[in-house]
Amino acid sequence: MSIFDSRPKFAVHVAQTDETFPCAGNESLLTGMVRLGRKGIPVGCVNGGCGVCKVRILGGEIKALGPISRAHVTVDEEDQGYTLACRVAPQTPVNLEVAGKLNKPFSKGRAESATASPSIQQQ
Amino acid sequence: MGVMRIGHASLKVMDMDAAVRHYENVLGMKTTMKDKAGNVYLKCWDEWDKYSVVLTPSDQAGMNHVAYKVEKDSDIDELQKKIEAWGVKTTLLPEGTMPSTGRMLQFNLPSGHEMRLYAMKEYVGTEVGTTNPDPWPDGLKGSGAHWLDHLLLMCEMNPPEGINTVADNTRFMTEALDFFLTEQVLVGPEGNMQAATWMSRTTTPHDIAFVGGAKSGLHHIAFFLDSWHDVLKAADVMSKTKTKIDVAPTRHGITRGETIYFFDPSGNRNETFAGLGYLAQRDRPVTTWTEDKLWTGIFYHTGEAVPSFTDVYT
Repeated sequence: MSIFDSRPKFAVHVAQTDETFPCAGNESLLTGMVRLGRKGIPVGCVNGGCGVCKVRILGGEIKALGPISRAHVTVDEEDQGYTLACRVAPQTPVNLEVAGKLNKPFSKGRAESATASPSIQQQ
Repeated sequence: MGVMRIGHASLKVMDMDAAVRHYENVLGMKTTMKDKAGNVYLKCWDEWDKYSVVLTPSDQAGMNHVAYKVEKDSDIDELQKKIEAWGVKTTLLPEGTMPSTGRMLQFNLPSGHEMRLYAMKEYVGTEVGTTNPDPWPDGLKGSGAHWLDHLLLMCEMNPPEGINTVADNTRFMTEALDFFLTEQVLVGPEGNMQAATWMSRTTTPHDIAFVGGAKSGLHHIAFFLDSWHDVLKAADVMSKTKTKIDVAPTRHGITRGETIYFFDPSGNRNETFAGLGYLAQRDRPVTTWTEDKLWTGIFYHTGEAVPSFTDVYT
């Protein structure tokens, strides 16, 4: 565990790249995802309005942190597990796949993720 | 005289209580009115008309419409003729369509954004009044913004398809509404494609701005502050209120504005800025920014690209 962040973390798995990042139960999946250090992860309005951090939850429990824009996640999509990573926090280990504008930064394989391993080892 | 200035912006918000707290506590606006539909109307302390921001409950973020105030009621009829002659359809909304507001001319810009023109809005006065006024009132909250100053609209642009609604809007605003161009970004192999423009009716560098994007939307609404130190204090307020800052205090090359960008609780981008840049005049030569210096124009100190600034909007 990092001496600067001793909060218990859940492991969040990204299906496309088989990467895992730690995320506390009171922070958004996007906050945790940024720790991967992967270039180009879009951090937009972080208030559920701009839609750049779309993900699909494949498994695990999440908690809503606030409303998300219907312009970016339809009711049908929400039923299929889609949400915005800035507006949900993990309550158990989570398995997700990235969607929309998150596809690009996760499309180049693990080599691009220079700091992924060290940041996980710090936990 | 025609268009005088920006009058109000109507925004969609997903959590009304959080939105009102934001515009009151971070910007320092005051709620002046609520209507039966649940819309909330707010104004800044230095504004004299009843409202400059309308918040409407919605399941998404973004802008409903932007309104500009014209000087005389007859301007509405004259501008209706010019707008229709330009090829844009208009609708006259009767007085009372919005509370405390006279009749409005409603139309869509070539980019699809809804714009309205009105001549009358209920006068309520600034918070310091008109007789021997103090320079600022007591009890200001947050950054204590003076007024809604301008907004920036993202406009659909797809050069391979021949779509450039930045250029279309610029031509429309010039020819139909008599705005004038102050600055522009020119891109493309010939360096002749308008990818962004700043336009004025007042004497400030911009009353409206257009930037090209994949689809049309709202980039930000901007509020005026007195000084660079007020911009710093606004950033302090945002940290205190855990408001998401998009761009920490810096200066634009374009318009020379001293600025900070942040998001409201629905993700609509706000700006507070100081420095009116220069005296904008119809005969002042237009400033041009080239493709290779675009980011110096946007963030003058670093000159570095911040993709979220151009890709993230509502």
